[in-house]
Amino acid sequence: MRQLNRLLAAGRTDQNKVLNFTFNGKDYQGVAGDTLASALLANGIDVVGRSFKYARPRGIFGHGPEEPNAIMQIGSGASTIPNLKATQVELYEGLEAASVNGWPSVNFDIMGLIGAFGRLMPPGFYYKTFMYPKKLWMTYEHFIRKAAGLGSSPVESDPDSYEKLNQHCDVLVVGAGPAGLVAAREAARTGARVIIADEQSEFGGSLLASTQLIDGLSATQWVADITKELGAFSNVQRLPRSTVFGYYDHNFLAILERRTDHLGISAPSGPRQCMHRVRAAQVVLATGAFERPLVFAHNDIPGVMLASSVSTYVNRYGVAPGNRLVLAVTNDNAYQTAIDWYHTGRTVVAVVDSRTAPNGVLVEQVRALGIQILEGHGLIEAVGSKRVRKALVAPINEAGSEVTGSVQSLVCDLIASSGGWSAAIHLSSHTGAKPVWDASVVSFRPGESKQQERSAGACKGTFGVLDGLIEGANAGAEAAKLAGFGEGQVQFPTPLIDQIIEQPQQALFLVPHSKTTSRAPSQFVDFQLDVSAAGIELAVLEGFESVEHVKRYTALGFGTDQGKLGNINGMAILAKALGQGIAETGTTIFRPSYTPTTFGAIAGRDINHLFDPERYTAMHRWHVDSGAEFENVGQWKRPWYFPQVNETMQQAVDREGLAVRNSVGILDATTLGKIDIQGPDAAEFITRMYTNSYLKLAPGKCRYGVMLKEDGMIFDDGVCACLSENHYLMFTTTGGAAGVLSWLELWQQTEWPELQVYFTSVTDHWATATVTGPNARKVIAKVCQDIDLASESFGFMDWREGTVSGVAARVFRISFTGELSYEVNVPAHYGRYIWEQLIEAGAEFNITPYGTETMHVLRAEKGFIIVGQDTDGSMTPADMNMDWVVGKNKAFSFIGKRSLERSDSVRENRKQLVGLKTLDPSAVLPEGAQVVNDPNQPIPMSMQGHVTSSYYSASLGHSIALAVIKGGLSRMGDTIHCPAADGSSIAAEIVSSVFYDPTGARQND
Amino acid sequence: MTKLDAQDVILESPLHYFSKISSHPVSSNQLFNGDLEFGVVAKEIRLGCQLNLRGDASDEHFVTGAESVLGIALPTVPGTYQYNSDTAVYWLGPNEWLITSATDALELEALLRSKFEGHIAIIDVSGGQTLVNLRGHGVLTLLKKASVYDFYSWSDAVPGAGRCVQTTFAKATAIVANRTDGSFDIIIRRSFSDYIAQWLLDAGQEYGCRIESC
Amino acid sequence: MLLIYCPNCLEYREEEEFSYGGEAHIARPLNPETLSDAQWADYLFFRTNPRGIHHEMWYHATGCRRYFNATRNTVTYEILETYQVGTQPQITGTEA
Repeated sequence: MRQLNRLLAAGRTDQNKVLNFTFNGKDYQGVAGDTLASALLANGIDVVGRSFKYARPRGIFGHGPEEPNAIMQIGSGASTIPNLKATQVELYEGLEAASVNGWPSVNFDIMGLIGAFGRLMPPGFYYKTFMYPKKLWMTYEHFIRKAAGLGSSPVESDPDSYEKLNQHCDVLVVGAGPAGLVAAREAARTGARVIIADEQSEFGGSLLASTQLIDGLSATQWVADITKELGAFSNVQRLPRSTVFGYYDHNFLAILERRTDHLGISAPSGPRQCMHRVRAAQVVLATGAFERPLVFAHNDIPGVMLASSVSTYVNRYGVAPGNRLVLAVTNDNAYQTAIDWYHTGRTVVAVVDSRTAPNGVLVEQVRALGIQILEGHGLIEAVGSKRVRKALVAPINEAGSEVTGSVQSLVCDLIASSGGWSAAIHLSSHTGAKPVWDASVVSFRPGESKQQERSAGACKGTFGVLDGLIEGANAGAEAAKLAGFGEGQVQFPTPLIDQIIEQPQQALFLVPHSKTTSRAPSQFVDFQLDVSAAGIELAVLEGFESVEHVKRYTALGFGTDQGKLGNINGMAILAKALGQGIAETGTTIFRPSYTPTTFGAIAGRDINHLFDPERYTAMHRWHVDSGAEFENVGQWKRPWYFPQVNETMQQAVDREGLAVRNSVGILDATTLGKIDIQGPDAAEFITRMYTNSYLKLAPGKCRYGVMLKEDGMIFDDGVCACLSENHYLMFTTTGGAAGVLSWLELWQQTEWPELQVYFTSVTDHWATATVTGPNARKVIAKVCQDIDLASESFGFMDWREGTVSGVAARVFRISFTGELSYEVNVPAHYGRYIWEQLIEAGAEFNITPYGTETMHVLRAEKGFIIVGQDTDGSMTPADMNMDWVVGKNKAFSFIGKRSLERSDSVRENRKQLVGLKTLDPSAVLPEGAQVVNDPNQPIPMSMQGHVTSSYYSASLGHSIALAVIKGGLSRMGDTIHCPAADGSSIAAEIVSSVFYDPTGARQND
Repeated sequence: MTKLDAQDVILESPLHYFSKISSHPVSSNQLFNGDLEFGVVAKEIRLGCQLNLRGDASDEHFVTGAESVLGIALPTVPGTYQYNSDTAVYWLGPNEWLITSATDALELEALLRSKFEGHIAIIDVSGGQTLVNLRGHGVLTLLKKASVYDFYSWSDAVPGAGRCVQTTFAKATAIVANRTDGSFDIIIRRSFSDYIAQWLLDAGQEYGCRIESC
Repeated sequence: MLLIYCPNCLEYREEEEFSYGGEAHIARPLNPETLSDAQWADYLFFRTNPRGIHHEMWYHATGCRRYFNATRNTVTYEILETYQVGTQPQITGTEA
């Protein structure tokens, strides 16, 4: 297909390299260096999307991130990305693009019918209509989203990889336009570490479309030279295609670098995008400015564009998006577009200038070209449907508030407008700096710096290139100095460039119409969300005064362009409607992200198996080889159960549990937290942390303890062993290890620094195998000859040092199963070896490896609690029927003790731990089930408590459960009920929480 | 009392199952091929022992006692370590050091304890962590992926002394130290070593990454 | 993402190495048993939560494992100083 609008002058493109692409399923061609937008314009594509509310046809309006209309779905399948702006998508061979908001087609749209009813959809329409009835909101929302065309997310998992880099630098320069380039150069020469990032495909910013000479070179050549110069510094990192999208606390900035997006399917392997997390000592913001369109009637018809965008398409991309241009301006600056257009050989119909007697340098140049200038005129309305056909112009008064003469019609197919420039203050706003309105440049400027940053050039409201270069160089030198490099003096001579003296611009935003705003055809402010000048005025009539409220009521600036194009016009129209100035009205706050960011880049490589660390014990591979199913316990992978061929989980757990009760089992207990505690005050300290006392615990002895938070609630539990005088080993729960260690450190470091004690985690150092069951002693005896295993010399709650299969070990007689148990601890390097030795030694007793599920069943049979399962942060030891573990007579008021006396801790009717025995022995209560006294009472029922643990016990031959029930300890023998959602209910009797071996004879054996 | 012969005892280092595993942009996850060039080589180093030492740095007796046993001074400047041919001492905190040594843990602990009095602690952590040397042209950028710490700010290691830091490493933690040859040592916890090895293979893939266990 | 100067490591480190420890300079009562429920609750649950200057504890969890104190402006998030446990802040006051 012929590219109707392609010019001979190629700009920055390479017309010899033709690229094929599709748009909405049709084939087109562009050239290397095009954006999708410039290629579409080259092909004469007028309509690229439909608007949000009225489904009006829309065309390409801008040339950068301000673009509101050309919102595209790029690519297909798993790699597709929705909501990219065609103006920011670099063209590549085979690119597939589709409008996101043209459902079902941009040219004929059933939603277009809604456009006819647009008058019925005033601002606040959604609030006024769709919120009621509430239950229908989900239906409306679904419809709105589909109609609004927010694009579609890929449903497959993303095949691309993404990188994340933590960066540190002395000076981060954001933006590589004229100010940013010289700022980076000044900072670089001081030796400071510099990062310069720019969102475009190449450095240069506005200079890429400039026709000015710098140092006697074309602007693009000057850019190429300085970019190369920066590359020669080893301390400079250049990041093109990199958007700084967020400015966070303490000079932390996030950059999205698009590495291979512009290469399409030809991209080499490697990360598609990279997120740079930058901590910068100093920041120079040189983010440029956005041109402000004029607001006039039907200013959204395809063929209406920004003046600078027309120049950019002509000069940079070699594309003329039309034939007959009418240019509407309020300033000298935009006259350049008339000159640029004139040189394409196409027609400039007229320049419509709102000012009465413009006579600046550029104005006179245009006049000299014989171009008609309509002074003191406004372009009040565009005419056309899917493309501009005419522009209606009329004389307006000096204030720009009303039409004063007759309307004339100019035949044209392109309208470009410029209402001046708005500084891109977004990043400075992210820091909390409050933007300041500067009437002299008709723009907000960055507010007082809240962080180590300064703005330079157009983003500071300094719109002249020469002034921007001077400001940029100074900013670079200053930033480097404050980061500790150089003297703050500019080193390089200021580049030579003609300074074009401009006459004052007029602060005009809304061009008056012959009809009042409310009666005139729609004058759009925010194109994506169809917010019009009349809508803003209506919001004021309805009583809204705050800019933040009006924004939310009208949806101004809510689109994916985040109001880059329309916000300032919106504020100005609001200010006028409120009868006040823009400075008093203020602006809404810009927040991250500056432009949308992919989830892929945010996730980086923290996905799939690297999403969260999996912690393994030294025996892990044995478990894997033995077919274990695993359970996540914190970050640990623990064997859950070891199914044999064709075994269900219940069958495996029954078998494992019976093996422990009848012979011997073996459990990998490595994951329990272990803290080494040394120091003369160790016993005193430990005694302050646990509810019971350790002052008299002798070497070789262990004691079980419960730890409370200061509010008296159980926080962790475990055994603490005295290794030698002033030396203890504390076991914690698997999940609580890190929390307990920092808890100990907190109290020692901040409250009792006078207590001499050191804590060190040794969780990873030890591998632990628990051998448990009536035959446990016989198994240990086979591998350990240097410990006297006789019960009278190595009793329950003792520990001994010895040699197990040739390895120095600590053996603890502690039991979580209620059986005779030996916990064998060896340095983890020997973990798998010892495990296999024990398995071998136990073979004659059919030693059975068991997992966490069986462990849970066995301990529940004994009524042993699991902190975090049977407790939930609101349980005292008394609630758990564990008053025996509380040393009420300890000299020191241990952590949590005082709270046990609080009125709420001692009140009647607290939930207490009891056992439940279902009347049907095979019925297993669901964990979490609510307990009620009468299942037939009306809903809502009176809750008495809930089930915390519930299993089928093979050794007892019936199900067992633990529950916390109000006043449960005084309700033994009562029958309670656990109703289920399906209307059924299970009845159970309240019994003791100890189901098995209540005297403890087996573990004491 | 009988004791097995030492050779019967089988010892597995934390990276035992990563013997010569590599990831490469061209041929990923194949067995180590000596011809390929790797931008990151992670080599696990076998050490005699690793001991955690706690004590008061202002106690002269403690400081000189440690030096007399180790042959090197306890580093008291935060973020530094000192080393000689078979021992290294890393500053971990104001009263905490990590000692790595060719000597057996029990032996070294006994020697140290004989020199100290008062409130100190020595903890054998040999089984709980492992030292992995990272070398190759990709290592510095790999560290940027792994950690929020600014390793570029470090001065170069000199014979006998270098910089070290305890910080985050991927989603785990590590002690990282620089060496005079431009390589880095990381000391990682055993239970996280599998995760870190997987992470290294993935993050190092663009340079080619090889892991060698000890 | 804050950048926090650790007074033990003597350098600025990233927030993700630290965990927050709550308000600083709250001494545990020496004789909890002598306090009324209301007095005990005041120690246990009530915090100043100021707008502006706040003295708070931080724990260098993946670094030196030491607690220290920081004076932070709760409005701007600026950290004005960090100092050792057991010492007093240089910067005090309630307003930012």
